[in-house]
Amino acid sequence: MNILTRSWDKINPLDIGSYIRQRGYEALQKAIREMVPADVIKEIKISGLRGRGGAGFSTGEKWEMAAGQNSRSDLERARGATSNGKYFICNLDESEPGTYKDRTIAEKNPHQIIEGLLIGAYAIGAKKAYIYINGNYKKQAEILRIAVGQAREKEFLGRGILGSAIDIEVEIFEGAGAYICGEETALINSIEGKRGEPRLKPPFPPVSGLFGRPTIVNNAETLANIPYILRQGAKKYSQIGSSVSPGTKLFILSGAVKNKGAHEAPLGITPQELIFNSLYGGGLETGKEFWFAQIGGASGRLVPAGKLDQPLTYGNCEYPLGSGSVLVVDKNADLKDLLLSWAGFFHRESCGKCVPCREGTYRLWEIAKRLKNNDLPLTNCNNASERDININKNHKEGQLVRGEREKDRENIEDILWTLSRTTFCPLGKFASVAWNDAIKMFGKKIFDK
Amino acid sequence: MSIQKILLKFEPKPENLLGVLKEIQKENGYIGKKECEGAAGYFSLPLARVYSTASFFDQMKTKKESKKIIKICSGGPCLGEKSMEVARQIEMLLKIELENDARAKYKLELMSCAGLCDRGPIVMIDNQIFEKVKPETVDDILANYL
Repeated sequence: MNILTRSWDKINPLDIGSYIRQRGYEALQKAIREMVPADVIKEIKISGLRGRGGAGFSTGEKWEMAAGQNSRSDLERARGATSNGKYFICNLDESEPGTYKDRTIAEKNPHQIIEGLLIGAYAIGAKKAYIYINGNYKKQAEILRIAVGQAREKEFLGRGILGSAIDIEVEIFEGAGAYICGEETALINSIEGKRGEPRLKPPFPPVSGLFGRPTIVNNAETLANIPYILRQGAKKYSQIGSSVSPGTKLFILSGAVKNKGAHEAPLGITPQELIFNSLYGGGLETGKEFWFAQIGGASGRLVPAGKLDQPLTYGNCEYPLGSGSVLVVDKNADLKDLLLSWAGFFHRESCGKCVPCREGTYRLWEIAKRLKNNDLPLTNCNNASERDININKNHKEGQLVRGEREKDRENIEDILWTLSRTTFCPLGKFASVAWNDAIKMFGKKIFDK
Repeated sequence: MSIQKILLKFEPKPENLLGVLKEIQKENGYIGKKECEGAAGYFSLPLARVYSTASFFDQMKTKKESKKIIKICSGGPCLGEKSMEVARQIEMLLKIELENDARAKYKLELMSCAGLCDRGPIVMIDNQIFEKVKPETVDDILANYL
């Protein structure tokens, strides 16, 4: 079942004509000419589409929240809201390690995203839409810019869309390299020219977002589903995939798997099928043996061989789908390298706003470096020479070295507990997920040396 | 191009601040106090606000960088393609140590995912990206681009 990748090989991303020939912009015309905004939102709600960025919130419900917000209140005026409009933002700030699904869509079929964006903006009554693209995606930003220009020429966006009285301006906004800006409130802050730090929620962006106005932030892949839903009908879409979260998803396979890259599969598929079915992953590379898979990038959980039969959905499932990337790790991989990679990533990307995350990710990274180099933690001795003597003694006695390690182990538990429960935004929790699983599953392997 | 010329290309609206700072970074190599003051005046924002933005993002620097910076991706997929072996090779060739500031001319850093996992391992020298770098090919890249 192909929705997103259906006509990729027939489309030239630099030519809007090739997209129109594949029934492109038909859904936008249908929305503007035959439907009122409330109908569009109803249709998306019936389809059961959920956000593809990772959280899996119902797209229709999100839109409804923003559509219900009316003109500027006194409170907003006092807070400095300068305009009366609403905003619609496409989140293409993809920076989860191992994930490049949105980049692939933007490269292969940029108009799919733009059409979804325009329909969304029409549905909530936004006059201004942004595509917030990762600062590293320079080529893709250029493709999108060309696509927006061509769509403007064809009157799909700009003033008076398709002869109606609807104006929607689309602007490409390039980020400057920050993982946290994929979080919607951090993204909004960074468009406003502030530090990309997350805001306290509530108020949620559909109520008060960009410049204090109702704002929808949707993942690029979510938007790419919209044209299909309007064209084929929500009923048809809701029957694809699993009942709790219908539709298909782009999965990114990487690591020790044979067919690496982007694969479209219906939601509800199991990791087993994704990795071993010849339609998708096609099994492991020759000579490699499956150890575990990580689902959802660096912030994803680790799935051991025995648990590969759990379906991947955006409902209540044991292994959250996240961004949909699957990293297959084989038995020759060095776990300590991976631990250091995860801890280093979150240490670099922690924005520093809240203490548990800033300090927690930093200390976790320090311990990961020690584990990697087989160093011992610093003891409480006051002077260095005393410490050296102690360490030398410990080395001799062997037994005590294990005691020193035990300190790191206890600290890791403390740090992970704090990260997963007390940080301001989900980044801290993400930093603890893979580590938690690794300690539970392979604790012996990590510490007994 | 002078800072004034860059500033005048943009309307003084807050949503243009990040774009302006990126452009200054590109032209000037860093965003120092003088540049921040210029932008703050143009956008009618407090200097601290402009500096707080300029100092936040990976792609902008608030101090002049005199060293050549080589970055290597440490993400899971790149690790699987042996990015650490490439790092060892660079360390050996340039006699530097990963994430160590001691050498005057070069600095080797780890970077976060650039979304090019299908073309890894990724090495970046001065914002130029090199794909599918192997330990055997990295000396060519260093010889030509350092």
